[in-house]
Amino acid sequence: MARGKAKEGDGNWKKFIWNSEKKEFLGRTGGSWFKILLFYLIFYGCLAGIFIGTIQVMLLTISEFEPKYQDRVAPPGLTVIPRVLKTEISFSIADAKSYQEYVAGLNKFLKDYDPDQQTSDMVFDNCAEKPEDYMNRGEFSNVQGQKKVCRFKRDWLENCSGILDPSYGYKDGKPCVVIKLNRVLGFKPKPPLNDSLPPEMMGKYNPYVLPVHCFAKKEEDVDKIGTIEYYGMAGYAGFPLQYYPYYGKLLQPKYLQPLLAVQFTNLTYDTEVRVECKVYGENIGYSDKDRFQGRFEVKFDIKSS
Amino acid sequence: MSKEQYESNILSSSYLENTRLQTMDNQIPMSQGRKREKAAEILARDGPNALTPPKSTPEIIKFLKQMVGGFSILLWVGALLCWIAFGIQVAQGVASAFDNLYLGVVLALVVILTGIFAYYQEAKSTNIMASFSKMIPQQALVIRDGEKREVSAEQLVVGDMVEIKGGDRIPADIRLIFAQGCKVDNSSLTGESEPQSRSCDFTHENPLETKNIAFYSTTCLEGTATGMVINTGDQTIIGRIASLASGVGNEKTPIAIEIEHFVHIVAGVAVSIGVLFFIIAVSMKYKVLDSIIFLIGIIVANVPEGLLATVTVSLSLTAKRMAKKNCLVKNLEAVETLGSTSIICSDKTGTLTQNRMTVAHLWFDDQIYSADTSEEQTTQSFDQSSQSWAALSKVVTLCNRAEFKPGQENVPIMKRVVVGDASETALLKFAEVILGDVMGIRKRNRKLAEIPFNSTNKFQLSIHETEDPNDKRFLMVMKGAPERILERCSTIMINGEEQPLDRERAEAFQTAYMELGGLGERVLGFCHLYLPEDEFPDTYPFDTDSMNFPTSNLCFVGLLSMIDPPRSTVPDAVSKCRSAGIKVIMVTGDHPITAKAIAKSVGIISANSETVEDIAKRLNVPVEQVNKEDARAAVINGMELKDMTTEQLDEILINHSEIVFARTSPQQKLIIVEGCQRQDAVVAVTGDGVNDSPALKKADIGIAMGIAGSDAAKNAADMILLDDNFASIVTGVEEGRLIFDNLKKTIAYTLTKNIAELCPFLIYIIASVPLPIGTITILFIDLGTDIIPSVALAYEKAESDIMNRRPRHKKKDRLVNEQLAVYSYLQIGIIQSIGAFLAYFTVYAEQGWLPNTLLGLRVNWEDDYYNDIEDSYGQEWTRYQRTYLQWTGYTAFFVSITIQQVADLIIRKTRRNSIFQQGLLRNKVIWVGIVSQIAIALILSYGLGSVTALNFTPLRVQYWFVAMPYAILIWVYDEIRKLFIRQYPGSWWDKNMYY
Repeated sequence: MARGKAKEGDGNWKKFIWNSEKKEFLGRTGGSWFKILLFYLIFYGCLAGIFIGTIQVMLLTISEFEPKYQDRVAPPGLTVIPRVLKTEISFSIADAKSYQEYVAGLNKFLKDYDPDQQTSDMVFDNCAEKPEDYMNRGEFSNVQGQKKVCRFKRDWLENCSGILDPSYGYKDGKPCVVIKLNRVLGFKPKPPLNDSLPPEMMGKYNPYVLPVHCFAKKEEDVDKIGTIEYYGMAGYAGFPLQYYPYYGKLLQPKYLQPLLAVQFTNLTYDTEVRVECKVYGENIGYSDKDRFQGRFEVKFDIKSS
Repeated sequence: MSKEQYESNILSSSYLENTRLQTMDNQIPMSQGRKREKAAEILARDGPNALTPPKSTPEIIKFLKQMVGGFSILLWVGALLCWIAFGIQVAQGVASAFDNLYLGVVLALVVILTGIFAYYQEAKSTNIMASFSKMIPQQALVIRDGEKREVSAEQLVVGDMVEIKGGDRIPADIRLIFAQGCKVDNSSLTGESEPQSRSCDFTHENPLETKNIAFYSTTCLEGTATGMVINTGDQTIIGRIASLASGVGNEKTPIAIEIEHFVHIVAGVAVSIGVLFFIIAVSMKYKVLDSIIFLIGIIVANVPEGLLATVTVSLSLTAKRMAKKNCLVKNLEAVETLGSTSIICSDKTGTLTQNRMTVAHLWFDDQIYSADTSEEQTTQSFDQSSQSWAALSKVVTLCNRAEFKPGQENVPIMKRVVVGDASETALLKFAEVILGDVMGIRKRNRKLAEIPFNSTNKFQLSIHETEDPNDKRFLMVMKGAPERILERCSTIMINGEEQPLDRERAEAFQTAYMELGGLGERVLGFCHLYLPEDEFPDTYPFDTDSMNFPTSNLCFVGLLSMIDPPRSTVPDAVSKCRSAGIKVIMVTGDHPITAKAIAKSVGIISANSETVEDIAKRLNVPVEQVNKEDARAAVINGMELKDMTTEQLDEILINHSEIVFARTSPQQKLIIVEGCQRQDAVVAVTGDGVNDSPALKKADIGIAMGIAGSDAAKNAADMILLDDNFASIVTGVEEGRLIFDNLKKTIAYTLTKNIAELCPFLIYIIASVPLPIGTITILFIDLGTDIIPSVALAYEKAESDIMNRRPRHKKKDRLVNEQLAVYSYLQIGIIQSIGAFLAYFTVYAEQGWLPNTLLGLRVNWEDDYYNDIEDSYGQEWTRYQRTYLQWTGYTAFFVSITIQQVADLIIRKTRRNSIFQQGLLRNKVIWVGIVSQIAIALILSYGLGSVTALNFTPLRVQYWFVAMPYAILIWVYDEIRKLFIRQYPGSWWDKNMYY
């Protein structure tokens, strides 16, 4: 009985897929399938039209030069180059391969900062080579065409420029990293008030520089971190203000954001050393949830052999 | 099951062995009874004399069943996948691994909570029943060690001598050894309402037929008896029937089948899309782990987590509404079964009728008068001016032993309790309604002598003084079987005048008698005689034994006929059933003529339809020559049914639309129910007796009577009619149909947004955009914003007269059909998805990510160590900034679905009519639903926006309105759909778009 029923069920199933009597495929005849597919073709056609239409209307309300809202992207993040997995820079001095990816990352990033990329006077402005105030370049629109950008010379990074030492100090166990402040359109970072800075940074204060400072993350690492060299414009450990504000990809396609190179010349080897770098400013924020906002952390693990 | 099978089931050899019907058992002397020690020994062996309650599933099993039923399995799989993913990610040291752990926990919680909820709902409806099985401990008078003692009936053992008297419930199956005027009411067992006399004579081989056995749980009406217990507890006939009833399998209810079907569809869609995209993901070189996470998302998006709970709530709301209308539903799913019922097999007595004799017709002055038989009669409107009526009313009043119980002056006459048999009660109430103060009249006409009714002389007689002080004659009044009364009469009263009873008059009497008898009514004749003063002076000693007074040459006064009249609401209810395409079959133990008369008066047999016999009579041909198909109606006698084959029964059920089964025994009910079920009908059966319980169980929906019903019947039934009224069934049918329609709406509403939840995952996998909506967020829609609105649809009024269409076909009219799924999934669901995607793209674009930058962005976007990804404007974003934006996207997507679900809710109010025809404001609960939906969304976005784990963010106000055009589009499109359906019925559009 049960078996007979099962067979019957199978028959129905097969019949459902192809019913030869009524010439039905999946319960519909060819004509019926044609009608229903035609309906859905038209239906989805209309829907696609409506969707594209509404998207276009939405895009019309958005300027191509300036995003409508920036509340999610500001205050900006602080990024370290090379970009490292799990924020860990780990290599062996003796093994060139072990730091090759860092060197490559730096090379790639700094390519835009080569002098031969900055020749055109049409694009580049002759900004002062010392920190100055913000350089406003007018409205966020292309009425005056593209905006000029300030040059940033790679050799300002000195030992970390890759010009003198193509291994950026890695082969000597003195690794360099390059720090940049994430680009945010129209953002004018405000340097901190003089008295809000950590005492060790007071010496090099300049009102037109957004200072950056790196230090040991953990108390016990303070001794292991050794000396830290900062290479930036005019020797300031920070970002000069004349590079701000940024006018966006369309108006400043060749924009070079100011960089700061940091070299750790006397790190303790064969142990993990955690370093945090922080940028200071009145409108720079930090967040517990976002560990890359206004600061970053990097862990060095250098093997001496 | 045939009757033979049925009986052999009950009367197995073990029963007969114990019974020893004929041989007197001399081991136990009647006067001594059992020895106490021996009784204790047997009690220990046989167990107490009580019915074992039906085996119930252990609570824990019930609970676990809720945990794995429906979508639970899918969700468990989802939770398991989450934990696997968590395990792998932890091993890989992924920062966000704990998200998966939490999601798994949440999914498991969802399953457990909905399981607990369903379990609670079920338990609640079972509890209603518990109150019914309150049993008062029964006592029995037993002789043990030569002493009479009261013991609890549970203590009885086989061989005990018990004494019973009128009013007792028989404590076990007993064989009578001594009986005096003993009568028992076996109606709960056999359905025969006539009291049956019992004696100690062995009259029949069959224990059910023999006179010397009284059965457990029946009642002794009068007389006394002593008997020996032959069977106790489950071994009794009742016990056997009860276990037989529990043996009849519980069929799945139609709605359970429908929900299963729907769960299969949804689970099928979920699994196939899940597997398909798992394969796509793997072949697109996604990591297997990622693919598993996609799979989880797809499952969660596809499963309407809250729906089954919603369905339960909707059903229990309807159950509550039905309880208010006197239909108490035991099993929630039975709510809908009643709606899909296509045949109702109804009892007559008490269900279709009022269950009390009432005077229906009178005949005097050569004329038949009709009396009012409604439940709340306060006056009678027939012509009462004739002198004959005055005389008749006097006979009716005086020749009557029934009395009202005292202290009921304020109770309506028809509701007063009367001591007396059914006919006398009817006459008493009839007289009280017309004359008022019957007891006073009787007092003023003092009764001097009386001969009560007995079956040999078939009359009742009494002699009274008259209330007229000037009239010293005595009045002798007599009532009884009309032909017997007429025999004793020589004159007849016409218009107050005594006229000789000639042949013509006698013929007129015969015609009236036949006519009233043909209506299935019980007819009584009334006569009187004024005894001459000179022969019977004041002090005349009337002696009823020697009958020293004339009992012939009396004056015939009139006829009264009585019937148990139909309830006044029944004819309307039957015609409603008829227009609703439900066949009403009457099954009764009564005489065919009575049954047919009642069937005709309530419309079960309509006025112009004829039975085979009627046609034969009209055409004056033998019954065999009549073409059976000409007869719409059929009255089948239980005796005929007994000899019928299954095919013959089927033929009758198919060929006749109006059927009455008369003189049927309750076990034949089971045969009738099975016959109906063979016609693919959904059968509702009403019943009250113990013996009905197998039929009640077998029926798709068993309906027990709340007042007259026995506990066994109530236990076997799915539903209990608190007022025993057939009309309540019809309101139940209406509610059942309504809930079916409304569940369709609820499901359509719920399924729609599943597409809007699913599309984000599909687009996410294929186009690699940042994830538009999170799994947790989806759960907040399914179990948060959507719950109250989908329950609110259960309050929707019917679109058209649902009692004017045929019952749904079990196999063709599905709850979730192709059109419903396709329309919800592929049309409204898609519109909703693109509406939500518009909001998603808007949020991203306004923050700097234009739609084209989003495509293919996923891998970088989700890279935890990529903290400077450029947007369309060249701005650089850290991982957390992106995540926060992603959550804003979730919230916008969520809000858009919510807003469009408002539109979806409004369109689901109707399936065919325009919203304006239905009325936007008629169902207030819908608005409660809409308000709750928006309120929950507001709370989630603004109140809980700061709780990281929930992934909600406070949303800019304008984003609430982005999907509004699509909400309007949904509404307009659906109005157009409905317009076309109404305009072009039967068209391609109607066939493909009406769900």
